[in-house]
Amino acid sequence: MATVTLQNIQKRFGAVNVIQDLSVDIADGEFVVLVGPSGCGKSTLLRMVAGLEEVSGGEIRIGAREVSNLPARDRDIAMVFQNYALYPHMTVEDNMGFALKLKRANPADTAERVKKAAAILGLENLLDRYPRQLSGGQRQRVAMGRAIVRNPQVFLFDEPLSNLDAKLRVVMRGEIKAMHQRIGTTTIYVTHDQIEAMTMADKIVVLHDGNIEQVGAPLELYDRPANLFVAGFIGSPAMNFLDGKIEEGVFRTEKGLILPLPAEVSPAKAGGRPLVYGIRPEHIRASDQGIQGRATIVEGTGSEIFAKLDCGSEQLSCLFRERIDIRFGDTVGISIDAKQVHLFDKTTGHRL
Amino acid sequence: MASVSIETARTETDNKRSKPSRLAPNYWPFVVPALIVIGAVIVFPWVFTLWMSVNSWTLGQEQTFAGLDNYIRLATDFRFWESLWHTLIFTVLAVAAPLFLGTLAALIFDAQFPLRGFLRGVFVMPMMATPVAIALVWTMMFHPQLGVLNYLLSLVGIGPQEWIYNRYSVIPSLVLVETWQWTPLIMLIVLGGLASLPREPYESAEIDGANAWQKFRYLTLPMIAPFLMIGVIIRAIDAIKSFDIIYAMTQGGPGTASETINIYLYNTAFSYYDIGYGSAMAVVFFVIIVALSLVLMMVRARTNWSDMETR
Repeated sequence: MATVTLQNIQKRFGAVNVIQDLSVDIADGEFVVLVGPSGCGKSTLLRMVAGLEEVSGGEIRIGAREVSNLPARDRDIAMVFQNYALYPHMTVEDNMGFALKLKRANPADTAERVKKAAAILGLENLLDRYPRQLSGGQRQRVAMGRAIVRNPQVFLFDEPLSNLDAKLRVVMRGEIKAMHQRIGTTTIYVTHDQIEAMTMADKIVVLHDGNIEQVGAPLELYDRPANLFVAGFIGSPAMNFLDGKIEEGVFRTEKGLILPLPAEVSPAKAGGRPLVYGIRPEHIRASDQGIQGRATIVEGTGSEIFAKLDCGSEQLSCLFRERIDIRFGDTVGISIDAKQVHLFDKTTGHRL
Repeated sequence: MASVSIETARTETDNKRSKPSRLAPNYWPFVVPALIVIGAVIVFPWVFTLWMSVNSWTLGQEQTFAGLDNYIRLATDFRFWESLWHTLIFTVLAVAAPLFLGTLAALIFDAQFPLRGFLRGVFVMPMMATPVAIALVWTMMFHPQLGVLNYLLSLVGIGPQEWIYNRYSVIPSLVLVETWQWTPLIMLIVLGGLASLPREPYESAEIDGANAWQKFRYLTLPMIAPFLMIGVIIRAIDAIKSFDIIYAMTQGGPGTASETINIYLYNTAFSYYDIGYGSAMAVVFFVIIVALSLVLMMVRARTNWSDMETR
């Protein structure tokens, strides 16, 4: 186990700056998730930590060692790839023991470590199979087993669940987290799925266009997003954003809808300038009084109801946890939990 | 109304289906031409060869049934065993050398470098030439006094060689020509294999600690093994029945030093006109080729990692 320090990391592909001056500190044993939309540079960053991409500038340290210019094999890391990257001509056992074979480890010791890792991941009965004889979930477990056997200082995961179906993804999510809790190795995990990030991370790093938008614990990002990008990216369904201004102690949207404000907002400080009002769909409740809206989309999943309401000239997404009877075209009354409102400066996008 | 007509149509179709088809026998005219061709060019020659092999028949003389006499004669014919040995050496060398050099060339052409496409085009040109033309050119090059090869050797201080005119160097010299012509084929097969290999395992291996040699030894080589085996099968079948280049360059000489089964068979049947004995030789040769092909196909199946789930 080790700390990982990324200091002023830069990556350029020709004239294109993919990552610009990025710094993150990862504590020993921490599970850090790099999350962001496609093309934000998260996989490139991970591959630079792995040694599969060269760093254009900055410094990567694993523990006390500066590894920026070391080849991948000398970094003492293990990586699990999105498409598993198993050796197709080797059995599961050979796949898992390959790194130790290269190090000319004692075969008995290798077999013992492979057996142990297989037991952790429930692969004992599959050791003599070839990758093509395994399901997606089993292959992913083998890829994890291969990483465990090496007992590295850092685990790197590059979107490891993207190729699995939704149900298996949930199962494997739990398994990866359980494995981390059991082994405690420092882990950097890349995903574009914010649910994965929220459920697995000790710390989330939100990336956008090669820059860090916010670093923090999952709930911190959910409760206090630093800017419009994080607010929109974290949380599903996405937060409602309404443009407007504070006038006479209330928020008035550009299209005239009046919305409540949290008590701590100082109208004197925020009043007058263009703002963005953010409210998560799950923080809107059904209410007999309050804002009236006509349902234009209604999707019930049993545990909750998602509805899109046309409130005069504004659209609001709502997620009702209570069982209410709404149908397309119905008029529904809603109330907004003012304590859960987020306000952002429209010009800078920053949280007020 | 519409539903009624649909029902009626269905009933008519069902009635048609339930009757035995009267069209079936009429398919035969379509099959017969192919059967005639197959019978004439494949089945008949084989049956005729088998029949000839159990007959004693020299052209111009009377044909008599000989039973297994021709096969018994083969078993004790020193020249046949010698030609079998020549065939074996020639085949092993004419497979191994192009395989090694072709793989090496494929690894080189798999990398990116200037003029790669042009050089690859030049490299595959020998494959396109006519064997007899190649034989004539190489015969001139092998000439002990006038040949360019001895001149090139003299430049590096090596004395003149007798090449195809010496009983010890004739088979290696013929293999040199085969290698020159067929290395590009192996290169193309292996290059195709290399292009189809997944890239991800190499990144895994990089992280697992493999150096360049270990990546080749443990990843590339086993992963291209199925392609190498295709090359081996094609080359082995081609080399074992090689005739044109050997006949055009040495006619099996000097003496019988480069006489392979094919050349001996040809001489027996068409120089000595001993058709019966030549046919027995052809049958034995056919069995050897089939056995070799089966063994190679079995080896290929074992190396084929992409089909491993079916085994």
